[in-house]
Amino acid sequence: MTTHAPAHEIPTVEGRREPDYLRVTKGFMSWVTTLDHKRIGLMYLFGVTLAFIVGGIFAMLLRAHLWNPGPDGQMFSPQDYNQLFTLHGAFMVFAFIIPAIPGSIANFALPLLIGAPDVALPKLNLASFYLWLFGTVLLSYSAITNGLDTGWTFYTPWSLKSQTAVLSAGLGVFVIGFSSIFTGLNFLVTMHKMRARGMGWFQMPLFCWAIYASSVLQVLATPVLGITVALLAFEHIYHIGVFDPAEGGDPVLFQHFFWFYSHPAVYIMILPGMGIISEVVSTHSRRPLFGYKLLAFSSIAIAVISFLVWGHHMYTSGQSEFAMQAFSFLTVLVAIPTAIKMWSWVATIWGGSIALTAPMLYAIAFLVIFTIGGLTGVYLAALAIDIHLHDTYFVVAHFHAVMMGSTAIAFFAGVHHWWPKMFGRMYNEKLASIAAIVILTGFMVTFLPQFEMGSQGMPRRYATYSEQWVGYHRASTVGAMILGAGFALMVGYLLHSLIAGRKAKPNEWGGVTLDWKCPTPPNLYNFDDEPIAGKLYDYGPTLKR
Amino acid sequence: MIAFQDPLGQLPPQASTFAADHDALFYFLTWVSIGSFALILGLLTYSCVRWRRKTPDQPAASDVTHNTKLEVVWTLIPAIIVIVVFAWGFKGILPQQIAPADARKYRAEAYTWAWELYHPGATKSAGELWFEVDKPARVELTSRDVLHAFFIPAFRVKRDIVPGFRNQIWFQPTLIGDYTLFCAEYCGDQHSMMHRVVHVVDAATYVKEPWAALPETPEARGEYFFNMKGCLACHGTKADSPDPIGPTFFGIYGRKGRLSDDSEYTADEAYIHESIREPQKKIVKGRAPVMPPFDATSLSEEDVNDIIAWMKTLK
Ligand SMILES: [Cu+2]
Ligand SMILES: [Cu+2]
Repeated sequence: MTTHAPAHEIPTVEGRREPDYLRVTKGFMSWVTTLDHKRIGLMYLFGVTLAFIVGGIFAMLLRAHLWNPGPDGQMFSPQDYNQLFTLHGAFMVFAFIIPAIPGSIANFALPLLIGAPDVALPKLNLASFYLWLFGTVLLSYSAITNGLDTGWTFYTPWSLKSQTAVLSAGLGVFVIGFSSIFTGLNFLVTMHKMRARGMGWFQMPLFCWAIYASSVLQVLATPVLGITVALLAFEHIYHIGVFDPAEGGDPVLFQHFFWFYSHPAVYIMILPGMGIISEVVSTHSRRPLFGYKLLAFSSIAIAVISFLVWGHHMYTSGQSEFAMQAFSFLTVLVAIPTAIKMWSWVATIWGGSIALTAPMLYAIAFLVIFTIGGLTGVYLAALAIDIHLHDTYFVVAHFHAVMMGSTAIAFFAGVHHWWPKMFGRMYNEKLASIAAIVILTGFMVTFLPQFEMGSQGMPRRYATYSEQWVGYHRASTVGAMILGAGFALMVGYLLHSLIAGRKAKPNEWGGVTLDWKCPTPPNLYNFDDEPIAGKLYDYGPTLKR
Repeated sequence: MIAFQDPLGQLPPQASTFAADHDALFYFLTWVSIGSFALILGLLTYSCVRWRRKTPDQPAASDVTHNTKLEVVWTLIPAIIVIVVFAWGFKGILPQQIAPADARKYRAEAYTWAWELYHPGATKSAGELWFEVDKPARVELTSRDVLHAFFIPAFRVKRDIVPGFRNQIWFQPTLIGDYTLFCAEYCGDQHSMMHRVVHVVDAATYVKEPWAALPETPEARGEYFFNMKGCLACHGTKADSPDPIGPTFFGIYGRKGRLSDDSEYTADEAYIHESIREPQKKIVKGRAPVMPPFDATSLSEEDVNDIIAWMKTLK
């Protein structure tokens, strides 16, 4: 292990008592064997961004394929198209969006926010990263060898009949699941045991509350994903007869298993994103979060309710009216804490000192798109409407609003917010603002036509489609290319900043949470002196006083 | 009662008794959504303009961070709206659950990647569906292999088709016209080709049993079956059609080749006949045994001969 070096060997860096975590040790081995939460966070950041690029390339290819309605004059065969949307979904969900915020942003910022020197279980943290890596390698292996054409949902019996690499991809998902469980567990212990002196539960920044709620979900729900994939593998290999009707199994049972995890998984993705937005909105408006307690409790409420709504993915499966009634009622309830969050963010910005920095622009893009994602979720929760909209592009557009337009954009808001802290360098803010606007525009152009097509009845996962939707599909394809350009620009200026970016100020945004009270970039163990938590979100006097 | 009309014309035609109810709730939510979206956008824009930071050390304008009354209001209003939406939506699906006793009985059997569609009393399946306007119809849904779903957007109905289970769906068409039946649950390679025309016709047309009518010549009938039985999902008709699953039918008649056991075959009438009835019996070398069998309820002897007659013309 290379975490300690004798004090006299450490080169003194100007203005610092200790060298920062990026320079304290050197070499490839010092990174791949690191136990430092910040370095592990950066490895995750690098890894999930690669997964995002791979998933994004799949997305642009499949959108390009849909330029023509087919079957003639399309880029790919239907089989290849089916593989593209499956791999896009599987990479984006399992390799990118589930680990993205917990793995990178939370790993980096959570200990800083609570004034801790590291996470509680650093070795487990590194193990999580390697499990993620192994699982993602397995997914990539499946993609390269036999491909995958089951949809990211692996619905039986097609997933049992498919000739593609269902088993190795399933194993990949299984392994990534454990990475997610370990990460959640680690954060829970860290928050329970390592808060700074003076930091009670209600002095924790709201990002921590969000991570707490999503960690509970990761620990409790992800095992069900493991069970589901394991049963699928047993069915595949030994024909035990759980899911395959030909063996006496029940294909709908698979859906229950799958969504018992995958609905909470939606909140494993979005809750951390909401946490980032809370911090960004507060810092860049210089206002404490409005209705702090209600915001904290709404995270917990969302986590609890999210366990009880999985059946809303099966309204059309032949469920009893009673089950539909219960699932629909519980699902609409999720809208209440979600609305509370929305209003609280707006009220936080209201009367603030609003700096339209790059992170703030990404956060505003989040607020705009999340409003769309949240409201369209109510359509799908309502039984009579969902019967019509289920499995159409409306659903596709809805969950992309929540995952791509909200979670991924929140992730990037977080990246921009903590970037100066991570690297001590600043990106080109002008380009960053342009990229945020391009991405918001690209999102709208891609997905608004999809809402429209979906309400007209265009089913999802269609390699070919009827002429009436050509215009919408083409608009959507153009939008996807705009999104691609926006993200390419972002990756470009971020990488550029590492080499040629100006030096970041010690507290680039004037933040008041503990993460801004350690050196920039932080020391190996973060703080110079043990931090003591004072009043949370104390931005000093306001104009009114 | 005047039925709800689609004010923006963005939904499919309202062609069943369920459509107006669905559309009313859909638009209620659309107006609520547009209102909330505009409100949030307005508040954000106003704030960003009015309180934009002009000097680096400008403090916030307001010190209010909590307001119980406001928080109660913005919790209660969404709560009331979503509970109304829930109740409205639930009320909307109740009539869809039980078909009226006088509904005509249809049967749809889905398989990868086509449908066998049986009209009331028919023993032979048809390629498209005909319903009489204003008469309730009930469709029994079964699958031979994987999940499919029966979806007619103009009727606002959808129901999964689960292998090993018997689901059903009912509706009452209200508007004469041609609509589309889609498979809405992903079912593999040619999922997107499982669409069929749904005709809603008047009583006079319906009694003529239009589903039993077939094209005049054997070759035209053969092509009709090719389209209806989903053959086109795996087989092309041109010399350069892609053939990842099955061979193109262009020039297939009389073609010679090798089977999986290396014996030779000639695609003559007997061979093609067997390949339709019992496709798993002889597998061409390098092909997967994926073609579903077609028995006499699906294609009669005559129908098979028509297909062969049509295949002969493809060269
Ligand atoms: Cu869900
Ligand atoms: Cu299908």
